[in-house]
Amino acid sequence: MTAFRTHLLLILGGLSGLAVTLFITNTMFDGSIEKMSATPTWQNVVLVNVLIGACIFLFVVELRRGAIRVLLTVVVALILGFLVTFVFNLDSSLRFTRGEFRVQVVSEAEALDVDGVDLEYNRVRGGHFNKPNVVEPVSEVAWSFAGGEGDVVSLLAYAKNKRSSVDPLVELRDESGAVLASATSATVAQVEERFDDLVRVTDAVIADFQLPADGTYTLYARPEELATGTIMTEAFQQTNVAFEALLLGPIQRVNRWGAWIQDAITLILIGLSFAIVFRAEQFSLGAEGQLYFGALVSGAIALNSPNVPSILIIPIILLASGTAGFIYGLIPGALKAYLGANELVSTLMLNVIATGFFDMVLYFQLRPIDSAYVATGKFPANTVLPVIVERTQVTIAVFLVAIVVFFCWLLIRRTPLGYEIRIIGSNLKFADYGGVNSRRTIMLSMALSGVVAGFAGMHLANGIYRELILDLSLALAFEGVVVALLARLNVLVVPFAGLLYSYLRVGAQFMERDANASFELVRMIQAIIILLITAEALVTIFQGRQKRADIDEKGHAVEALEAGDV
Amino acid sequence: MPIIETQAIHKIYPNGVHANDDINFEVEHGEIHALVGENGAGKTTLMKLIFGMEHPTSGRILFRGEEVEIENPQDAIEHGIGMVHQNFMLVNSFSVAQNIILNRETMQGISIDMQQAIDDTAALSQEYGLAVNPTAKIEDIPVGMRQRVEILKALYRGAEILILDEPTAVLTPSETQDLFAAVRNLVEGGKTVIFITHKLKEVIAISDRVTVMRDARVIGTVKTAETDERELARMMVGREVFMQVDRPPVERGGSVLEVSDLTYADDSGHQLLKHISFHVYENEILGIAGVEGNGQTELAEVLTGLRPPTTGEAFINEEQILGRGPRSVREHQVAHIPEDRLTNGVALASTIDDNLIIDRYYREPFTRRGLLDINAIEDNGRELIREFNIIAPSGAIPVNALSGGNMQKVVVARELSSSPKLLIAAQPTRGVDIGAIEFIHQELVDQRTNGLAILLISADLQEVMKLSDRIMVMYEGEIVGVFPNDDSLTEERIGYYMLGAERQDAAEMERYA
Repeated sequence: MTAFRTHLLLILGGLSGLAVTLFITNTMFDGSIEKMSATPTWQNVVLVNVLIGACIFLFVVELRRGAIRVLLTVVVALILGFLVTFVFNLDSSLRFTRGEFRVQVVSEAEALDVDGVDLEYNRVRGGHFNKPNVVEPVSEVAWSFAGGEGDVVSLLAYAKNKRSSVDPLVELRDESGAVLASATSATVAQVEERFDDLVRVTDAVIADFQLPADGTYTLYARPEELATGTIMTEAFQQTNVAFEALLLGPIQRVNRWGAWIQDAITLILIGLSFAIVFRAEQFSLGAEGQLYFGALVSGAIALNSPNVPSILIIPIILLASGTAGFIYGLIPGALKAYLGANELVSTLMLNVIATGFFDMVLYFQLRPIDSAYVATGKFPANTVLPVIVERTQVTIAVFLVAIVVFFCWLLIRRTPLGYEIRIIGSNLKFADYGGVNSRRTIMLSMALSGVVAGFAGMHLANGIYRELILDLSLALAFEGVVVALLARLNVLVVPFAGLLYSYLRVGAQFMERDANASFELVRMIQAIIILLITAEALVTIFQGRQKRADIDEKGHAVEALEAGDV
Repeated sequence: MPIIETQAIHKIYPNGVHANDDINFEVEHGEIHALVGENGAGKTTLMKLIFGMEHPTSGRILFRGEEVEIENPQDAIEHGIGMVHQNFMLVNSFSVAQNIILNRETMQGISIDMQQAIDDTAALSQEYGLAVNPTAKIEDIPVGMRQRVEILKALYRGAEILILDEPTAVLTPSETQDLFAAVRNLVEGGKTVIFITHKLKEVIAISDRVTVMRDARVIGTVKTAETDERELARMMVGREVFMQVDRPPVERGGSVLEVSDLTYADDSGHQLLKHISFHVYENEILGIAGVEGNGQTELAEVLTGLRPPTTGEAFINEEQILGRGPRSVREHQVAHIPEDRLTNGVALASTIDDNLIIDRYYREPFTRRGLLDINAIEDNGRELIREFNIIAPSGAIPVNALSGGNMQKVVVARELSSSPKLLIAAQPTRGVDIGAIEFIHQELVDQRTNGLAILLISADLQEVMKLSDRIMVMYEGEIVGVFPNDDSLTEERIGYYMLGAERQDAAEMERYA
């Protein structure tokens, strides 16, 4: 690559990083300097945002053209998610216009005896709006009734029962067709106290209307939606709201931003752990178990050191959690290297053992005897990672992650061991031929990945929960696989991948909360995104394989590829 | 009228590679037509188009003067085209007859009429003079017979035109002679043969006409009788090629490698190496000839530390080198060009730079104070790329972006730059094009002239005879003969030893060991 292109890439990466930093900071504080400076520890918020910008920079610079493909994949996934949400909303909008309903004119006055009217006072009638699969579905009804001057009437239009979602409106019209009164909803008091028949506040009530003269009046009812706009625009608006929550939710307020950052830290650490072993072509899924051991060891030390100063105890906890992960990674590493045990099976089994052991120790040893919950109770304050942004749980783990990323990079790209890991990952037989001690390398790659997973466990225990609880990781460890794949196993891209992925995770929560999108829907959209992202990453990896296979066969394509490159 | 003809064929692969560029190629009925060209010249692509494994981007394929669309190999077979691939496509656990009738079975009720199959096979074998044993299992028969099975398989399917893709690559000289006889037989019987190769001697020996391809184009078609090897080589490479390697005579020096009573048995107890003893001296290329699979691979792997010997020792300067793994062997200044470079010699997805330091990354200047020195690694790459003329834009691109010849140069560059005392070179030019072969041969000879001891293992007898100062023949894991490579030594003579028909006694062997 020419120097010009290298510089262009650096500039492009720098600008993207800067743009993202500014965008996030701007959105968090609504673009107001006063609001920013009024926020306590705002400097640290900005600092973390600058680090996020640095992650974007690394992403662009490391993946080059691949970065565009990753972004395109995410965009396609989001568009697909949007479409699914839209269709779902379309259907849910339809619910409000469909279903069985009832109407009534409630009055204590004497009913007039007039022939040819549809309704008498206090008589219930009803029907089915927009019944599906009917030749002529009913979308509106008009019932005439006779009323005397001065009669006080209440007009009700309501769903037949709780299962029906239909949301009617009701109008009172005189003989000429002019609307005298209309209503789309009822008050809580009306529903709960006055009209027993009403189901919910979306039912329509015109209460206590005094009829102006003797005559025939019309009760007119129809589903509300059809009046306010088409179902399409309604569904579209709802989807917009949902996606705004997904896309901007995590950066709209400082506390939400904090939820994103702390989740991202865990994911980045686990992603790094997977990136290291996958680099060595070891399909170890042991991060879960290593994470539990890291958390258990940190928790045990924290609970027993209430009086040691933070500056001393936190490095000790860090070291201990890393060591626990190292040892728990060494076990499947040794089993693989010396006994040929398949690492996939052995790590999954070790995960079961680790979680079981964790639960057992938690239940029988660490849990206060009188506690009703299976949890240790909060750790002493000195053992909790110091928070750097108030009103959040964003701790010094941010810096820990930055340092760990740096060391992972150093390990993979700048140490002989890293060279060995890369080479055995690329071609084990070549490594053996070249004199690399591949057993040792396999073992160390798994053990070192365990160190990082152990850190993740410590972050969960001493940074986020501040106690040990059951189901500490909630299978979070496996989401780390997605992060590592998304980053193409490149440790410098893992921070970006972790941030992006946890942004979508956290955004999905806010989507559920703010936009009333159902939990299933949110999970589905998440799954679509993961599916596309991993599929794309796998495509890239398989293309690499395919290319190798092609060469094995004959090597023509590659010949000319070279010609193109030269 | 040509039996098969292509008109203005273009083939552009989805990745933009223009593998066939305006190919006009015709084969007359009843001729042996050789198709030659370096690797990547587009020979195999052209044959795949004719055999329906690929489809042309544009252009026409005519069969007996009529345009045809060949969708898949099934179509090609129906048109009477048969192809024998370089890698045999046989079911190893089936018998010869079963393989031949596969998918064309004569049924007897619900079971296959095996007697019929065996009779058919024997008759076909008789008719074309292709000797096979119909009831033997494929895994038990030698490579030459497997090839005959492939040919019979194509004939059984009614092939009129036979495409043979580098058929001699796996054969011994005498097997090659048998194959040529069989091919002539086929042509006399009215068949047409397209013979793909890059060995020019064979072209001259067998073909009626030759088409030469280079860089995806047809350079020309000539009558074999009116050309010679030199002209063909020039057409193939596009410049004058020196077929002979300049091997100046030098006095051999002291012993570098001493192998003493080496035995190796694999996990299932098969004795693959039996009591092997020999020396390799300074200023000497010791060539090991032998049909593939007679222990040469195992010998190289044992000597380089990839497999532990069952018994026996090997010494370099009096120091025992075996049993402590490849690194220990390499630290005794042994370099190794492995037989299968794609499997062992390179890490395809890694960069050229990384591939060039596998034997030295842990030493200064590549590792200083526990960290890799990227500058030193890049310098090493840049220097070797220049010195060994590896065609690559930089050392930062992955090896799988290189052509086969350049990949081999990466291996050769690394191994020769490690300042070795002994080089074990296994099949150093397999699958490499003429230009690169020339380069590698000259490099090996130059290194030998400068003092290096080289153990050359090659299935290509001509290569062994061209380069070696001494030749050792292996048969069934044993050394059966050692010869000084002088003018009195002929391919035929070595061939007898390679097939186990003759062997020297201990005293004779001692003379040149």
